[in-house]
Amino acid sequence: MNIIETIKKNKLLTAVSLAYVFLFIAMPDKAYLSVKNSMYYIIEMLQIMPVVFILTSIIEAWVPKEVIVNGFGEKAGIKGGVFSLLLGSFSAGPIYAAFPICKILLKKGASIANVVIILSAWAVIKVPMLANEAKFLGIQFMGIRWVFTVIAIIIMAYLMTIFVKKEDIPVQKGQNLDKVTGIDIKVQYCIGCGLCEKLLPQYFEVVGKKAKWKGSILNDAQIDELKPIIDACPVKAIDFK
Amino acid sequence: MDIFTVSLWGITGAALIVSLVKDKQKTFNSMKMAKGMMKNMVGQIVGILLLIGLILTFIPPEVIKDVLGASNPFISTIVSALAGSITLIPAFVAFPLVGSLVDVGASIVPAVAFLTTLTMVGLVTFPLERQEFGLKFAAARNIFSFVFAVVIALAMGVII
Repeated sequence: MNIIETIKKNKLLTAVSLAYVFLFIAMPDKAYLSVKNSMYYIIEMLQIMPVVFILTSIIEAWVPKEVIVNGFGEKAGIKGGVFSLLLGSFSAGPIYAAFPICKILLKKGASIANVVIILSAWAVIKVPMLANEAKFLGIQFMGIRWVFTVIAIIIMAYLMTIFVKKEDIPVQKGQNLDKVTGIDIKVQYCIGCGLCEKLLPQYFEVVGKKAKWKGSILNDAQIDELKPIIDACPVKAIDFK
Repeated sequence: MDIFTVSLWGITGAALIVSLVKDKQKTFNSMKMAKGMMKNMVGQIVGILLLIGLILTFIPPEVIKDVLGASNPFISTIVSALAGSITLIPAFVAFPLVGSLVDVGASIVPAVAFLTTLTMVGLVTFPLERQEFGLKFAAARNIFSFVFAVVIALAMGVII
């Protein structure tokens, strides 16, 4: 990766670093004070980061997302709502990473209310994030915000079903496995986690934080080989085309 | 380390051991994935942490207390909620920043509004959401989320 690309991808870090360089030349005592002020938060972050990292990994490995997704169906009522809340809470990645999964669920018959619950829970009350929040803002703060947020999410889910009907949501056509010509990666969803590259390096590589299909014409055996990775992709960004 | 962090390490460590014993390969695969996600965030994390130092050094606590303090909760809350809506940084990075501002005297009401809209409302990702779920869904969800973020924030201000 060349320097310009690295700078582009780390705009904030570059800007802050430049400010520090300037400070160390112009006002070394202020620069020293700034580093000292940051130090406390850096240490706190180092203490909590491994926990968040391992928790995310374990959740990703053991929460049976496929089972939850397949069990959705027309399930309505409280059970569906609780399922949605759990699915959203035990997830990784930013809110837009939930879009493809929610699309799949809608197709399987999940209600608008449940999709709203998943999206919102995914956004605000993820378990590893709660640990981080409690660390920097206190357990009490985290707990109360969690309670209020869950209540708000449930009210919001109900309100949404009044305003939005299922017909308002665009549907995609299903696809035929016989006509598969290659692999399509939705770049806007890819979080560059590199799982596909690590599992199937002969097909995928991560270029500039985004997965890339190395491109080849597929035979049946290869299609079977690729199916697991489509399920494994944490944000469901990979599909046949 | 405080008791909270220690107990988190304990729980996480125990869970990791169980996970490794049950299925080593599965655990490692997930860790690889999580590592990839973290690696993409490291630049932002370091940037924000160093920015906190600059803010605390150059912006006097009185100013922070004045602007984000309890004196004008309504305006600062709306502005914070708007700031959260247009910013796209992981919440992971936002907690230390918000925590540092609260530590020097910012009110928690705008802090909660910012944290909630940061994750729930996405103006930057709006086109993507509209494309997948339609305009009506995307617009309604984002507007409701914004309103509820402000309500949650004000309610928390009353309790804490």
